[in-house]
Amino acid sequence: MATLVQIENLRKEFGNVRALDGVTFSVESGEWIAIMGPSGSGKTTLINILGGLDTPTSGQAVVDGTDVARLDEAGLTRFRAEKIGFVFQQFHLVQYLTALENVMLAQYFHSTTDEGEARVALERVGLADRIDHLPSELSGGEQQRVAVARALINQPKLILADEPTGNLDEANEQIVLRLFRELHTEGHTILMVTHAHSIGELADRRIDLAHGRLAHKV
Amino acid sequence: MFARIVGQSFARNPRRKMLTVAALVVGMAVATATLTIALEVGDRMAREFRSLGANLLVTPQSDTLPLEIGGVDYRPVDEGAYLQESELGKLKTIFWRHNILGFTPFLDVPTQLAGSRVTDTTLIGTWYEHDVPVPDGTTFKTGLGTTHPSWRIRGRWFRDGANEAVVGMTLAARDPEAFAIGKKIQVTHSDGVSSAASLEVTGIASTGGAEDNAILVPLSFVQAYSGHHGQFRQLYVSALTKPADALADRDPKSLTSAEYDRWFCSPYISSISYQIEQVIPGIDVRAIRRVAETEGRILSRVSTLLWIVTLAALIAAGLAVAATSAAAVLERRIEIGVMKAIGATNTAVTALFLTEHLTLALIGGAIGFLFGAGLARFLGASVFGTPASPRIILLPVVLGLAALVALIGGLIPLRRAARFDPAPILRGE
Repeated sequence: MATLVQIENLRKEFGNVRALDGVTFSVESGEWIAIMGPSGSGKTTLINILGGLDTPTSGQAVVDGTDVARLDEAGLTRFRAEKIGFVFQQFHLVQYLTALENVMLAQYFHSTTDEGEARVALERVGLADRIDHLPSELSGGEQQRVAVARALINQPKLILADEPTGNLDEANEQIVLRLFRELHTEGHTILMVTHAHSIGELADRRIDLAHGRLAHKV
Repeated sequence: MFARIVGQSFARNPRRKMLTVAALVVGMAVATATLTIALEVGDRMAREFRSLGANLLVTPQSDTLPLEIGGVDYRPVDEGAYLQESELGKLKTIFWRHNILGFTPFLDVPTQLAGSRVTDTTLIGTWYEHDVPVPDGTTFKTGLGTTHPSWRIRGRWFRDGANEAVVGMTLAARDPEAFAIGKKIQVTHSDGVSSAASLEVTGIASTGGAEDNAILVPLSFVQAYSGHHGQFRQLYVSALTKPADALADRDPKSLTSAEYDRWFCSPYISSISYQIEQVIPGIDVRAIRRVAETEGRILSRVSTLLWIVTLAALIAAGLAVAATSAAAVLERRIEIGVMKAIGATNTAVTALFLTEHLTLALIGGAIGFLFGAGLARFLGASVFGTPASPRIILLPVVLGLAALVALIGGLIPLRRAARFDPAPILRGE
């Protein structure tokens, strides 16, 4: 398996606060990594840097051959559109767009829209009958599945999920986790931030962070 | 997809947009009303001012110095130069012919009266209502009714060409019996050579000027009486003009070709005077400064006031748009953050919000135009007595202004939106 993510001595400081302090690890293509740790340990910061939403203070974060630290604003935007699929804890769907339109929005910012492809993506996450519903008409689990469909639509190299089940009840959590397991089986590379050990155990490997440092690698 | 995003944003998230549209509607309604009235006011007020009387005086260029006392020319009739009545139709052939609202010739002649306590006075020959043949074959009705509307009459004015007279009120007061309406008065030429003539008094006039001490008669009577057939001495012209500006008072010879065209094609008092002098050679045209200057000054002030009100309305609308835009951008920061996280460029985000703003401007501008047209009708009816008619030519201007206000008002919030850093927004900070 090829290395998809290579992180070397990654540091990120917010003023006097050191969010990441010399983190080093790598992720192979097709792996499911759970990033765990207490609040404030730097999990979200790490995900944001890997996803091109933030830049490191020093160190390297190479994703699919691209060092995120060297990209300018326009380069980061393009990187996010082409290589990353985000799934957020709060779903973050555009409220006035339907499920279908939310998926097509990612296509639009990537290149061109293809409604048929977007429909297939929603069918793939089990929402064939909810395609024309607004987020406010969907349950939390359904909204998160729309977010997953949106993350997948441009065939990203890396799926970054930040507490994707943090806002879901148990039934919906199981549905979404099943979806992630299927994606993993299909060969997608997933980095998932989670607090829950039960979820962490589903991953191939666990990376524990504490005070911005790697505390434990399993 | 772009149109779909904007369309859905309008269809499903209209609340905040309503506030922006409301701000634009109010601003554009006031702007439409003031602009409509500003366009109308020049024309309307100029017509109102015309009720003050003529604003141009035409005299022969080679005239001798007038012997004028209290506005009446006491020169002997055979002295000085005269103008030809037959040339007056040419006034309706100049470039600004439609702005020539009326003109009235005057010919004064000293006379003696028989059978009255008053022995000497002046006969003033003029028109009250006269048909002037115009070179294009039409006729133009004009006279004191147009150029001297403030003159008041008890009884009625003389008929054109009849042996009738209107006596000035001061003169009539000196011998009320002799100058009573319906009485005949005998006039004799002061040279003692011409034969006497009889005139029937049809009215007593109050002019507020020297004419109150004279007898007003048809011009043709004085021409025949004095032997100056088809001639007159002075012409009062009432013309619609625009207020003077820097260009108005420049010597036309010093103007460049483009400036000359602009000056010639503007109804300045100076350019209309110039055009009159061109069609009737040998005359001197002077502005009656008191009327012209008062008119120009008030028109300028009213126009300035309207422009200030328009500007204030636009600024107020711009500030309201800025406030609602800033609130809208804050409210939609997560949406913006998500778009940027999934690959939207700053340009794409700006384009979306800019399109929304321009659409709001078109909606607000169009509704504001309709309200403004109604407001202009109301204000026109209140201030000028007749409603100001809506001018469709203002619609693109108002839409353009609305777009400008929406863009300027939304500029800072939109720039802020484009530069939002998605990471802290998505973390919920």
